[in-house]
Amino acid sequence: MLLSGFFGIPYDFRWSVLWEAPHYTWIIDGLWMTLRISAISWVFAVLLGILFGALRTSPFRPLRAIATAYVEFFRNVPLLVWLFFWYFGAPEVFPEVIRQWLIHHGMEFWSAVAGICVYHGARMAEIIRAGIQSIPKTQIEGALSTGLSVPQTYRLIVIPIALRLIVPPLTNDSLGLLKNSSLAMTIGVAELTFATRQIETYTAKAFEAFTAGTLIYLGLCLGIAFVMDRLERKFAIPGLIARTERPEH
Amino acid sequence: MKRFGIFLMVAMLILGMAGISAAETTLEKIKRTGVFTIGTRTGSAPFAYINKQNEWVGFSIDLAGLVHKNIEKKLGQSVKFELKESAPATRIPLLSSMAVDLISGTMTDTRPRRENVDFSLTFFITGAQFIVKKGSPIRGVQDVGGRRISSVQGSTNERELRARYPQAILVIFPDQPAAFTAMTQGKVDAYTNDGIQLWGLKYKAPNPDDWEVVGEMYTYEPYGMAMRKNDSDFRHVVNVALMEAIEGGVYFKLYDKWFGPKSETPYPLSPEARNFLMLQVVPK
Repeated sequence: MLLSGFFGIPYDFRWSVLWEAPHYTWIIDGLWMTLRISAISWVFAVLLGILFGALRTSPFRPLRAIATAYVEFFRNVPLLVWLFFWYFGAPEVFPEVIRQWLIHHGMEFWSAVAGICVYHGARMAEIIRAGIQSIPKTQIEGALSTGLSVPQTYRLIVIPIALRLIVPPLTNDSLGLLKNSSLAMTIGVAELTFATRQIETYTAKAFEAFTAGTLIYLGLCLGIAFVMDRLERKFAIPGLIARTERPEH
Repeated sequence: MKRFGIFLMVAMLILGMAGISAAETTLEKIKRTGVFTIGTRTGSAPFAYINKQNEWVGFSIDLAGLVHKNIEKKLGQSVKFELKESAPATRIPLLSSMAVDLISGTMTDTRPRRENVDFSLTFFITGAQFIVKKGSPIRGVQDVGGRRISSVQGSTNERELRARYPQAILVIFPDQPAAFTAMTQGKVDAYTNDGIQLWGLKYKAPNPDDWEVVGEMYTYEPYGMAMRKNDSDFRHVVNVALMEAIEGGVYFKLYDKWFGPKSETPYPLSPEARNFLMLQVVPK
């Protein structure tokens, strides 16, 4: 009431709309959908990122070109356009059998996963490339001189170190992915933002509904940031990456 | 101390502004700004849509134009008429945040909505039906069990379907074009919305004969114009504009323009609907 007077807009707050049936079940279902879609897209995005990030640093030119083409193509189109493409566009050219199967097995969900993972995969590829390229050339030469092959050098030396270096920017992009999953509602996926809008349209209590959405996203992101921070500490290579609170000398 | 002084000044300024807007009625706001803003749709032919000439037109927009004229008459000054896009999910927030003064699109007057906004007279009557691919086994609301049905978030028929026919698999989209395209591509078996809007979609589609509007109307959808609550002076100006249009025949001319036999969406006015409209007009 205080806030409503302050903004000069006649508005009655009714926070109970958030836990009245069936509204709270929509929030729970929406949250579960957001987590599922984000987790699955994240796994694929990281795999694509590692693959194309590594290829972008490959000494073999055609592989570099393929990886560069992937990154530039997928990161330079807005995610919303990708979602429309994967839902309204791409399935139309699939064989009818596959199309029908998809329609009856959550096409909305998988189109959203496809859109999000190729888009964030391209962004993560760049992060991983930056990580790989920050490793001193001498270290790679050292690895090769011990008799490791190029793929072995990548698998055993370069990528394990690069993955540690890139945790902060990777966290950043992972949080971006979680928040971007809200766009999936435009192609009919009932995720968290959908649920808060649904409550808003049923009750006309916009402030309460969107506050709930804001706080849930904030909580999720803070939780992920916390976990990633712990991972960063746990897997840090002593002496390799300087941390302000643990000086080596 | 200096900082506290600045804080106090800012606080007073904000409170002062809040004080002005809280006391201001819609007519006062229009008089002060010289602009009358309505929230309407862009994809709901023939009520409000972007036509082939890229103009924003429609029946609801023409009716709002009559309200605009009546506001000018009432205030004795010319006022700018502005249109803003509003979707079912955004129209009430747009009103309460003062971004628009009137919603004139395809908004159904309902009891829960009346808890948050006020409505004008009913200016159109329709009910929910389905649009399907020609020859579809869905012939009405009795056939929706286990079928994928698309609908627009925040619409009354979505709510009705969810409550009364939980066997249907609902796929909800934020806007009508997406929900309709999902149907034309066969991603859902039917799209449900108010019958008149489905006829509008059918006639606007590249191949109107491919699509059928089916089923008895399973909801009752009286369209009204929505405005901020407890502003009876403004509501009266809106209602008088509609009454004069119905009484003087302008309403029926506009109806003929948008729904007549020569229009893009022929939809004859039933005698009951005509009577209902006339009975809403109170004496001069």
